[in-house]
This record gives sequence, C-alpha cells and structure tokens, in this order.
Amino acid sequence: MRTHPGSPPEPSTPPPAIEIRGLCKSFGNKDVLSSIDLDVAPGEVVCVIGPSGSGKSTLLRCVSLLETPSAGRVVVNGTEVTAAEVDIDRVRRGVGMVFQHFNLFPHLTVLGNLTLAQRRVLRRGRKEAERVARENLDRVGLADRADDYPARLSGGQQQRVAIARALSMEPRLMLFDEPTSALDPELVGEVLAVMRRLALDGMTMMVVTHEMGFARQVADRVVFMDAGTVIEEGGPAQVLEAPRHERTRRFLSRLLDPLTVPGPARTRQEPAPAR
Amino acid sequence: MGITEGTRAAEAAGTPYTVSPAAARRRTLLRAGSYAVPAAVVLLAVLTADRARLADQFARLSLAGTMFPEVLTVALLNTVLYTAGGFVFGLVLGLGIAVMRLSGVRLYRWLAMAYIEVFRGLPALLVFVFVGVGVPLAFPGVHFPGGVYGQVTFALGLVAAAYMAETIRAGIEAVPRGQWEAARSLGMSHGRALVSVVAPQAFRIVVPPLTNELILLFKDSSLVLFLGVTLQDRELTKFGQDMASASANTTPIVVAGCCYLLITVPLSVLVRRLERRNHRMR
Ligand SMILES: Nc1ncnc2c1ncn2[C@@H]1O[C@H](COP(=O)(O)OP(=O)(O)OP(=O)(O)O)[C@@H](O)[C@H]1O
Ligand SMILES: [Mg+2]
Repeated sequence: MRTHPGSPPEPSTPPPAIEIRGLCKSFGNKDVLSSIDLDVAPGEVVCVIGPSGSGKSTLLRCVSLLETPSAGRVVVNGTEVTAAEVDIDRVRRGVGMVFQHFNLFPHLTVLGNLTLAQRRVLRRGRKEAERVARENLDRVGLADRADDYPARLSGGQQQRVAIARALSMEPRLMLFDEPTSALDPELVGEVLAVMRRLALDGMTMMVVTHEMGFARQVADRVVFMDAGTVIEEGGPAQVLEAPRHERTRRFLSRLLDPLTVPGPARTRQEPAPAR
Repeated sequence: MGITEGTRAAEAAGTPYTVSPAAARRRTLLRAGSYAVPAAVVLLAVLTADRARLADQFARLSLAGTMFPEVLTVALLNTVLYTAGGFVFGLVLGLGIAVMRLSGVRLYRWLAMAYIEVFRGLPALLVFVFVGVGVPLAFPGVHFPGGVYGQVTFALGLVAAAYMAETIRAGIEAVPRGQWEAARSLGMSHGRALVSVVAPQAFRIVVPPLTNELILLFKDSSLVLFLGVTLQDRELTKFGQDMASASANTTPIVVAGCCYLLITVPLSVLVRRLERRNHRMR
C-alpha cells in the first residue's frame, strides 16, 4: 500500500521514532513484559497483536509513560523517556494516545475536548486552538458536531473525536490501544477508515488491534506478542499468512475460527432446561 | 424438541411470574392492615388526648406572636450566619485535607488521615467546649477574631472539614482513571489534570453529599449555646429555650423547630433532585 523512501531499511535510515531496548515491566512479582526490543521508524505503522494478557497494552503504556518501566530503555522522538530527569509532560505532548474506551471529557463539548490541552499546555490562544480543532474534526469527518457533548455521539463518533483530540496536539507519533474493541461491529469501519487515512498521510503509528484486515492492509510491520515477549515480527504478509512460530499459528487459527476452541460460547446457544 | 415441551410444562406448573389465588388474598390483607393499624393508633390518640391543654402548651398563638420578628431577624439569621461560616471554613479546610489525603507524599497523607480520624471521632460538643472554654484558658487575653461568630465558624468548620475531606476524596476517586490518563497523555501536569478535568467531574458527584453536610451543620450550629452567648448572638435553639423557660410554655421551642425545618426541608428536597439528575447523567 504505502511506499517508504527508506525501505527496505538500510543502516543510513533516520533515528527511530520509538526505540525500545530490554524493556521489562512487572506488577508486584508478576512479570508482564520481559526484555522487549522493538524499533518503530518515522512514518512506519506497526500493528501489535497477541492474546489477551500478553502485555500489549502495558507495552504501549510504557512508551507513553502511563506505566513506569521496571528496567530497560525507551527512547521516544530522540528523548530517553526512562531517564530520571526527563520532563514527562513535554515528552507526552509529542505522543498521541487513543484508548479503547475513548476517555473523552464528558463535561466538555467536542470543541472543548479538542481545545483544552492546546490552550492549557501549548498556550495557544482561543482562536488558534479552535481553528486547529475544527481542522482536525474535519479530518475525522465530524466538523458539524463541534458543539455536541460526547454523550450525544455514537461510539464510533466518540472514538473519532478522541483521535482528533490527540491530533490537535500535533504529535509526531500516535499510539492506539484496541481503538475499535469497544465498538459495535457496524461502527468499526468508520474508525479504521480514519486511521488508514492517517497512515497514508505519513503518521508514525503503533496500533494494538485484533482487526487482522486492518493489520494486513495498513501495517508496514506486524508484531506478535505472547506472555510478555515478542514472539515474531515481520511484514504483514509474512506474519499473518506464513507465521514461522507455532504460537503465532495457533493464535491466528483461533482468531479466524473461534468455534474450534472449546468454551462457553457454544453451550450458551442451547435452550435453557425447563423447570 | 426440548423448547416447546419445556415451555408447556412450565405453564402447567404455573410460571414464576404469577402467584396462586391464596397468596394474592394474603397480599391484599397485608396491604389493608398496613393502612388500618396506624390509622387506628392516630384515632385513639386524638380521642383520648386533652386537646385543649396540648394546644395551649405546644401552640399558644399569643406567645408565638411575641417571638416575631426577633425569631427571624436575630435567631434564624444567626443560625444561618453561623452555619454559612462553618460551611465555608470547613469546605476550604476539607478541600486542602482531601488533596493532602490523595498526595504522593506519605507525610501529607498521614497528617490528613490523622486529622480526619480525630475530628470524626470527637463529639462536636467537645470541640465547641474546647474552642469556647479551652482556648481562652490556654491563651488568656487573646480574643477570637469576630467574637462568638469567629468561634462558631472555627469550631463548626473544624468538625465539618473532616467529613467534607472524606466526601471530596471519594468524589475525586469516583472519576474514572481513564480521565486522568487521557489528560496526562495530552501533556497536562498532575495539577492541571486535577483542575481542568477531574475536579469539574468530581464537583457534580460531591454536591449532593455536601448539601447533606450543610443540613447537619444547620443543626450543629445550635451547640453555640454552650459558648455562653449574649442576647444579640442567640440562634434558634438558644432563643427558643430562653423564651420557653421565661414563659413556662413549650410553644417557643415548637416555633424554633419550625424555623429549622423551613431551611432544612427545602435543602433535602434539593439534594434529592441533584441526586436524581446525577443518576440520569450516568
Ligand atoms: N496495573 C496493573 N496491576 C497489576 N497487574 C496488571 C496491571 N496492568 C496489567 N496487569 C496485568 O498484566 C498483564 C498484561 O496486561 P495487558 O493489559 O498489558 O494485556 P493485553 O495484552 O493488553 O491484554 P488485552 O488484550 O486483554 O487488553 C495481565 O495479566 C494483567 O492482569
Ligand atoms: Mg489491552
């Protein structure tokens, strides 16, 4: 789909947007991430897939410092965010984050959601902030909903507002944590369309997702994680069509045909026994 | 095959949604009894009581008339002023303690917790006596700024702050963690996220319980009578008590009570409205 001037990667490529080295994270004595190494090049779209509990969210949250890594190095846009003296708030400004449950501010209108951080963090004037906000609302196809409160919007619209809110800070990098998992199936498409356009515009993106169609079409690279480690990574065709590892194969086959897994999903359809 | 047969069997046995005729009769009797018994008690009381004596003792209109306008212009006004002072002082102090309670610094958390435990655990009357009697003994010659008004504001506020701090903390914690995370990942500092994102949402949550606290303060303001107040500083309870002893009649206490209800009943109606509104917004 997309062509990169620098691909296939050569030694002379620009410094990565994200550089992760030996990243470990544990909660109490539970190791959630064990020694992750991962680079994301500027303009690259990396999709992270893997079973529930494999540490995908934790990995993203370590990049945006919503979690403090237990060990290892994370460098974002050339700044080592794991260094002791780093200004976390300044680093975060350059990193947009989109959550599974949108996390819009319910007490503010759509426009208020998009202008708050611009005004308070970037110190933009009202006019300037609103101009940027409307531009980004237009980008996600919601220019006419600026004055609505989030509760009035559908899930898909709320997620698009959340994307526009992150874009209003003009980040160099966007992180998405299962952005369509909380949506009704018919609303997934509109959000993925916005993300695809963003990718085509050259945004650097790291996307945790279960949408294999999106990963196949949009990702430059797919990373499969299990039990806190990267099992394999490569082009979408390679990882999704011809996985090298048994665990990847098992995960993908379960995803494509969920009924092969014994579980409560089938028994639920049987009629309840009469009393 | 199982579905239709099962349904028919369930109908024959009586589904769990309908009751048998005997159970229905029992329910009707119970409903009738729950009205008849209290009605009988009231009727008995009305028939046996010495109504003339009661009316004179509790509602002597001529005596009630002499209480006006002072019961409103002095007593009720003072009650309102004392309560407002205590509420505002308690709110400011409580806000500070709530923020300390949620602070990352263990010493602050510990101090806030100690404050809350001490002032929630003491009778309000003891705090009043401490402020009214203990402080003047400890610092002879030092006068409270604002006289009795300052003392009441201080004593009521000290007690109220402990409850309000807990209410405000619970309100802040009721705002979902995702709101903090969204604010922080937009580059806002902790303080900015608190002020612009979390506090406005917490405010809506804490308004009903804080209004409840205001109602409690109205009643606690009566404790000022233990501070030994001048005629001009009397509030409703003291005013009613003085008039009742002077006239050897209960009517002034009834009138004072009605004045409290004049304020507290509308407030609790307001609380219920606010709670319903918050509920709808969920
Ligand atoms: N704050 C926390 N405290 C304790 N354990 C946590 C915390 N956050 C995550 N975990 C644990 O870390 C593991 C990985 O969680 P994570 O949310 O990163 O998985 P995930 O791959 O995103 O899963 P999912 O697909 O369900 O979102 C899980 O076992 C989870 O229980
Ligand atoms: Mg997750």
